[in-house]
Amino acid sequence: MSSGRFLDKSLKFDWVFLLTTFALMACGIALVYSATANEEVVFYESFWFKQIIYFIGGCVLAGGIVFLKIDWIKRMTAPFYILSLILLCVVLFFAGDVVKGAGRWIDFGFFKLQPSEFAKIAYLLTISYWLSRHPVSLFKIKTFVVPFFLFIVPFALVLKQPDLSTALVFIAVTYVAFFFAGFTLVDMFLITSPVLSVLFSHSQTMVYQVLWGLLICAVVFALVRRHLPKAQTIFFLATNILAGYASSMAWNMLEPHQQKRVNTFLDPMSDPLGDGYQVLQSLTAIGSGGLTGKGFGNGTQTNLAFLPEEHTDFIFSVLGEQFGFVGCFLILVLYALFLWRATSTCKLYSDPFITLIVMGSSTIFLFHILVNIAMTIGLMPVTGLPLPFLSYGGSFAMTCMVLVGAIICMRYQGRRQ
Amino acid sequence: MSMVLILFVILLIRLYSLQYTHYDENLQRSENNRIRKVVLVAERGYIYDRNGVVLVRNRPSYQIALQAMSLPRAKADRDSVMNRLLRIRDKDGTRLFDSLSLDTAFQRSRWIKNRPIGFFEDASPEQVAIIEEHSSELPGVVTLIESRREYPYGTLASHLLGYTSEISEEQLKLPEYEGYSQGDRIGQKGLEQGYDQEFRGKNGIKLVEVNASGRELGLVKGVDAQPPVPGLHLISTIDLKLQKVAEEAIPDTARGALVAVDPRNGEILAMVSSPRLDPNIFSLKKRERNKGWAQVALDSLRPLTNRAISGTYTPASVFKLITAGAGLENGILSESKYYPKPCTGGYQYGARYQKCWGTHGNLNVVHAIRLSCDVFFYQAGLDIDMARINEFGRRFGLGEKPLGVDIPGEKGGWLVDSTSFNERNKRLGWRWARGLILNLAIGQGELVTPLQQAVMVGSLATNKGVYRPHLMKELRDDAGNVVRRYEPEIIRPGKMKPETHRVLMAAMDSVVNHPGGTGKRGAVPGIRVGAKTGSGEWKKGAKTHAWYAAVAPLDDPQIAVAVIMEAAGGGGAVSGPIARKVLMAYFGKEDEVK
Repeated sequence: MSSGRFLDKSLKFDWVFLLTTFALMACGIALVYSATANEEVVFYESFWFKQIIYFIGGCVLAGGIVFLKIDWIKRMTAPFYILSLILLCVVLFFAGDVVKGAGRWIDFGFFKLQPSEFAKIAYLLTISYWLSRHPVSLFKIKTFVVPFFLFIVPFALVLKQPDLSTALVFIAVTYVAFFFAGFTLVDMFLITSPVLSVLFSHSQTMVYQVLWGLLICAVVFALVRRHLPKAQTIFFLATNILAGYASSMAWNMLEPHQQKRVNTFLDPMSDPLGDGYQVLQSLTAIGSGGLTGKGFGNGTQTNLAFLPEEHTDFIFSVLGEQFGFVGCFLILVLYALFLWRATSTCKLYSDPFITLIVMGSSTIFLFHILVNIAMTIGLMPVTGLPLPFLSYGGSFAMTCMVLVGAIICMRYQGRRQ
Repeated sequence: MSMVLILFVILLIRLYSLQYTHYDENLQRSENNRIRKVVLVAERGYIYDRNGVVLVRNRPSYQIALQAMSLPRAKADRDSVMNRLLRIRDKDGTRLFDSLSLDTAFQRSRWIKNRPIGFFEDASPEQVAIIEEHSSELPGVVTLIESRREYPYGTLASHLLGYTSEISEEQLKLPEYEGYSQGDRIGQKGLEQGYDQEFRGKNGIKLVEVNASGRELGLVKGVDAQPPVPGLHLISTIDLKLQKVAEEAIPDTARGALVAVDPRNGEILAMVSSPRLDPNIFSLKKRERNKGWAQVALDSLRPLTNRAISGTYTPASVFKLITAGAGLENGILSESKYYPKPCTGGYQYGARYQKCWGTHGNLNVVHAIRLSCDVFFYQAGLDIDMARINEFGRRFGLGEKPLGVDIPGEKGGWLVDSTSFNERNKRLGWRWARGLILNLAIGQGELVTPLQQAVMVGSLATNKGVYRPHLMKELRDDAGNVVRRYEPEIIRPGKMKPETHRVLMAAMDSVVNHPGGTGKRGAVPGIRVGAKTGSGEWKKGAKTHAWYAAVAPLDDPQIAVAVIMEAAGGGGAVSGPIARKVLMAYFGKEDEVK
């Protein structure tokens, strides 16, 4: 991003960032209102009113975080991490409130805590702290071992809940953290390549075979450029080839109904009677919005309860139907502005911890935005990730505001290089 | 940041294609044509008798319902739909729908959006035609076709077949009904409940486009329907011919039960419990259903109970077979054993004088069973002791443990010994005394079900083990392939010494075929029938429960029948002829029944 008059590099308080956040929150309340307005309940029990309460609570929380000292945050990283693991274990083994077959909440009476949300933040802090103190290098095994253990424990606990989409957030955060900790794009490609191998070689069709061949060529090319020691070179090549063969073998060992389940997860429209039903309704809702939408509160699809979970995971369909392409475009512009202002100064800090926190927080936002919107417009599997600031939900609203608070805090206290 | 922009642009391109390029298509879909998920209910499996005659089948039934999503949104418009419905009258000029159920349906339509809300069940074709004719004036009113159970033989075998009704709130909470949802029709009692999972099949789904008034326009393009898998058909072990004869032999005004079992494998050939109920009432309209239900539920004769498996009665003199068997098996009785005290019409035990029903003189065990002499068995019982008698009874299926028949509601009996007697009568303060053996030895005081009684005489005759009684012979899929067969299973040892067997069979033979036998009215010409009668005392002064347990032919047992008629009199006189009719029918001699 080129510098300009608009770009404030003084690392002082960023009003644009804050206003963007408030604008998104206002849009969220309006959308939750229009998605649930025709349910006849008293206003203080309605979803939109509760959402306002959550946001106010979130703002107070964020305000508190802004004044925390970075050194104190660093010191609290390990306790936070351990506390989050304990909470994850508690929800998994003891106090799971079973909603939709998955125990994800701990009920404290006056509010319900979702430990996986708490774990997102704790993990972000931990991985940032570790990577900021230990320079990364492809040559050192230590670079991977400790972060792997830091990662795998909360990841496995969340996956066990089972909450696949939140578990994916952990992967995204780790990935971006490694990049901003000092890996080059080529390094990132090499680390990712075994996963791509698995993806490309599970099916024996021509297209995938060619793709996998190209991938192996690219890996060889990258290895040549990178001049890695022999051990690592052989390691990366071997892992790729092994992963490829193991994947096709494992795929063939799956029963046909298991294969079908994986396929319908990756492409919900292949099962229009199951998950695809939601996506189909969502596509119809968004598509029928047209360029300018049907107008606030006039969504026929959403108001007639065709859409399940319209106020949480499918809130973007409500937006698409009522405000059309223009509305979607404006929201995306707001998101872009938000992410841009959050990350604009990330390369300027002397402390890599700050960079990692800021980029990690932005990654969490970006990942949620992309996965959720892509899901509602049928580009990605149906996972249950909410849309930041727009979807209804207390725990996630708190997470968002904590991250916003953290970004402001880092920017406010961070020093220039 | 540039990566982010690229990804956002991809999202925008997709949005553009949805909202601009395919706008018309999507708008039309959302405005005029709506996509709806329709559950295709799987056809419930039929029940056949052992020769392939249909005992239970399905019939189509029309339901008139509200489709909430197609109803007008304004309150005034909805009211006018309701008023139009109220104005519909049939030929006699009476209102078709009552305002109460209509009003409830309209109320519910405000929050139940995803499924139709029925307000008129089992509509006649004319009524459906009226609604279809006026469909344009009645947006949101739809007719649904569903299938209901039909029992072509009415009350025949009603207890063992069971009936279907909507799943109750309590049942929904039970673990065995996991995967069921509210409004599902499930089997209640009998085979309908015992094999509900198999009858249900698997529902299918289809995606249809519907127009603004809720009528289906067809499948959504490119989305194939998931067809329902029909439920399995059950071939039961029941023999319709035998069942009919048995039902006719027991009048509906009487209280009683009959069980006919094949002792070689446990197949139940006929099972009657009287009074009966007509399971068809559960497939009727709500109002008539409630009326019928109230009638059977409040009836003091308890027509809902399947007496054949859940009625427990004192086994009466039929139990003498067990007492005699235990004595023979343990060497206490033999054909040449005579007791010092002949039957002079009673027996003095301590200060008590126990009567016999006649004066029989000096007897051995075969004569005693033939004449059902009590005095002989008073003395035998004291000699043998309850522990041995009960052990012998348990070998042949009696006792507290139910036999595990494949329909719900089966009860176990009770074989009395000192501990269980004291425990059961603790509240009354009664204590076990040796004198009780006198009563227990002649079968007054124990409890058995008619099913246990039939299984007992059958396995006494085969001497090859007690098979689990069952009603399911085979399960077949829609194409007629056998999916599951019932494998006969031995559940009690059911074996005794050959000498014991020989003497018992001789005794059972003489009960029927000796001119002085108590059970001679159950004789079947040309077939060696063995039997034992019983007259259970249950209330002072009242007529006794009439028991008759028969097995035939004695040389190669194929059928065992137990009959009980409550408060009807002596076993040989009342129940004997009933058992005879069933046996005659089984051996193809029904024309000779006088």
